[in-house]
Amino acid sequence: MKHALSAAGVATALLLVACGSTGSTSLGPSGAAATGPTPPAASLTGAGSTFIYPFFSAAFYAYNQKFSQLTVNYQSIGSGGGIQQFAKKTVDFGATDVPAKDSELQPIGTDGTVQFPATLGTEGLAFNLQGVSDGQLKLTPDTIAGIFLGTIKKWNDPALAADNSGVSLPDQPITVVHRSDGSGTTYIFSDYLSNVSSDWKSKVGTGKSLSWPTGQGAKGNEAVATTIKQTPGAIGYVELAYIIQTNMTQAKLKNRDGNFVLPSPAGATAAASQFLITSPTQFSIVNAPGKESAPISGYSWVLLSKDQADKTKGTALVDLFYWLVTDGQQYATNVHYAKLPANVERNDVAALKTITSGASPLLTVSGS
Amino acid sequence: MNRLGLRVLLDRIVTTLIIACVMAAAIPVFILLLFVLFKGLPGILTPGFFSDLPHPIGVPGGGVFNAIIGTLIIVGIASLLAVPIGTLVGIFLSEFGRNKVGDSVRFVSDVLTGLPSIAFGIFGYTVLVATLGHFSAISASAALAVLMLPVILRATETALILVPNSLREGGLALGAPRWRVTMQIVVPAAVGGIVTGALLAMARAAGETAPLLFTTLGNEFLQLNPGRPMGALSLTVFKNALVPYTNLQDQAWAAALLLVIIVSVTNILARLYVRRAQR
Amino acid sequence: MGQGTAERVVPVPPVILLHRRHRIDGDRIFQGLAITAGLLILAIAAVFVVALFIPALPAIRAFGLGFLTSREWNPVSLRFGALPFLYGTLVTSLVAMVIAFPIGIGAALFLADDARLRFIRVPLSFAIELLAGIPSVVIGLWGLFILVPLMRTSVEPFLNHTVGFLPIFQGSFSGSSFLTAGVVLAIMVLPILIALSRDVIRAVPRSLREASLALGATKAETTWSVILPYARAGITGAVLLSLGRALGETIAVTMVIGNRPEINGSLFAQGYTLPSVLANEFTEAVGKLYQGALFELGLVLVLITIAVNVLARLLVWRFKGGRESTTV
Repeated sequence: MKHALSAAGVATALLLVACGSTGSTSLGPSGAAATGPTPPAASLTGAGSTFIYPFFSAAFYAYNQKFSQLTVNYQSIGSGGGIQQFAKKTVDFGATDVPAKDSELQPIGTDGTVQFPATLGTEGLAFNLQGVSDGQLKLTPDTIAGIFLGTIKKWNDPALAADNSGVSLPDQPITVVHRSDGSGTTYIFSDYLSNVSSDWKSKVGTGKSLSWPTGQGAKGNEAVATTIKQTPGAIGYVELAYIIQTNMTQAKLKNRDGNFVLPSPAGATAAASQFLITSPTQFSIVNAPGKESAPISGYSWVLLSKDQADKTKGTALVDLFYWLVTDGQQYATNVHYAKLPANVERNDVAALKTITSGASPLLTVSGS
Repeated sequence: MNRLGLRVLLDRIVTTLIIACVMAAAIPVFILLLFVLFKGLPGILTPGFFSDLPHPIGVPGGGVFNAIIGTLIIVGIASLLAVPIGTLVGIFLSEFGRNKVGDSVRFVSDVLTGLPSIAFGIFGYTVLVATLGHFSAISASAALAVLMLPVILRATETALILVPNSLREGGLALGAPRWRVTMQIVVPAAVGGIVTGALLAMARAAGETAPLLFTTLGNEFLQLNPGRPMGALSLTVFKNALVPYTNLQDQAWAAALLLVIIVSVTNILARLYVRRAQR
Repeated sequence: MGQGTAERVVPVPPVILLHRRHRIDGDRIFQGLAITAGLLILAIAAVFVVALFIPALPAIRAFGLGFLTSREWNPVSLRFGALPFLYGTLVTSLVAMVIAFPIGIGAALFLADDARLRFIRVPLSFAIELLAGIPSVVIGLWGLFILVPLMRTSVEPFLNHTVGFLPIFQGSFSGSSFLTAGVVLAIMVLPILIALSRDVIRAVPRSLREASLALGATKAETTWSVILPYARAGITGAVLLSLGRALGETIAVTMVIGNRPEINGSLFAQGYTLPSVLANEFTEAVGKLYQGALFELGLVLVLITIAVNVLARLLVWRFKGGRESTTV
């Protein structure tokens, strides 16, 4: 009965998507044959990072177009939520921008979990200032720290003016917008600030939820972006996809080498290439050296149970994510993420191969 | 001005103030409805709004078909749970409830009415999500059912109390057993009030968001299985309000308009039904 | 003939008592069913309490009563306190009542009156009822996109300009604030306040009103000196019930309050309320202590709303000497 219902549901969904959609959705190369295994029929639920949501949204939609028997319901509730709901086993997979710790994954623990990067992205500092357009504002590690610590309170502060000669900054208070939920995006941002500002490191530190010295909270990358867009004089840290997809203005950031770069997928790739090892314990790529490196970049991770109780679901999961880290990466650049570096992709496939149901591994692909 | 003149002037001033209060009380609803209509109508009239599923973010277009079905299913199941139980409790209170048990039921019902809606969400999560191990529409239905119970219960009890005792006595005098008198004479006489109560409770449930947040979680795909996470109109409004994509924000307004229409029409129908049933 | 239940008017005759063993099964089953349904409600309430209390235990044990006075809310260092949320909940509700009370009582006085502009009464009642039915999330949507910018660009600067010497109207404004949340709450609370107050005022005996007018008092004087004092207890009950509603309102407030767990003397500042933090952080609380702290917040919220509601209904009941209407 249950299968009949879900089949009917999927069929109806297909029918409606086919009849209802007018223009083609520009998600990237369509019709490219997937070189992964065909997944079984299943409906999967995942939750977590809002950082990765634009990529997941596009990729899962495309996968469903190819394999209509698999629907992936992903809810972006924040990295903290992703870890928590995964640990509670209320969702089939979690997504987080900072790998989960053993204490967060009880009772399954890090031993029972497979964590692997699914995408590479970068954060920008989006702002709302009349008359200042995209890339016109220049921010350095010191000014960013000052703004978010609350020591720089107005846009025409001398510290900001010094880096921005030629741009007229108004005498307007700065409204800082940060995350109100447990956020991997916050983790990456605070990781960066702790690296570049000893003041920040001692006063606030690094984490998914922080005791913010100033500013108002919004839930998810989405709400931070919306708040910035609606509040003149606001500034906040947002994942790049949201900034570009909604035509927000962002600042040029001074990276470690001293260059002012506008955050971009290429910058993320440049930053990632500086690090040879990527693992759940060594994952930070913020403040990377390199001329083009975007300073606030990071991977976004997927959490899967190493031992899948439900064999069908487990197979569906490994097939889905095998595709996501190999062929699915082609959808990344269209939605302003960077493709995973080759070594990371290899490690991901190896990690996926360790997932079993009972004693037998679920991923049936040959080769590397 | 003499004393009397002063008092009359004061009276006029107070009257004016009261009129001002009346206008201040009436204005919010017009402002609200006008804005929702103005901002929501373009979205509702967009082709595909009712029939399409949401598109991936960043892609224009899409609709709320999954949310409409979701709201119907979730509220439907909640009503299936709450209406029979609520009606039965209302009957209990009216016919057998003049005692301590009845009083405590009334007290609990009053307390439940005053609880914050988020408490029902926590209830639904602890009882049906954490235990079963996944989010589901049915946990949202359970939370909503508990929310609806006091409303239905009260309306039923009031409607039954209003039925004149002569009807009861007449039935009993004819030798009918108590349960027959209640079910076949008294309840049908009160059905106007009971149906009204049920409709009002359903309208309220359709608009609730907080109990759905961590029970049904949400779903961008169409989902007919109540054991899985499902979308809903109120969730669509809440989530889309907070995203920076204009097509989704427009859908939030349109979904809000749809909700307001559903709720208002149900409320009006309920009131009209009472008026007709009383004739 | 009065109205009441069959039981009271038709007592069980001795004849049936003699035949108790042969009492018709249908009645027994029916009574059993009805009583079970009643007990079910009590059971649900019990489950409610347990579902809130037990997960809160780790936090209750860890923080004790200091939970209620601690200002810190730090999920990283696992130090939790309820004070910022208690403050936010109380402040927003107070602002809401301050705004809604005069308007509500005035409108209630108008609606309870029999004469005077009768043609407005029906549309006004209708409008208020419509307002009561509008879902919280729709009001939140309107608040977020329409009210917040309005507050930021017009209202808050105006207040700052005119009465800015008061500390509550100082500081920078971004639109999301205690004040905005208070306005939204006032709109939501207005229908209940008006409906209840109207019933209370209507219940004042006509004879009192007419006697006062016969003695030559003006309508305003009658209202002030006769009606309102008589209805005082009931109106207080109505206000408390509306306050209870304001305390628990979740979604609309979450969308306009700014989500900052901090105590700030200015109404323009961003804050956080008990229901809002639960809505935002519930799904992501990792670990028994964090979860426990959130459940404890939920427990505190539920206890406060229950206390306010019980107090309110005691007042309204005592005033009317019976059951109040169920238009709420």
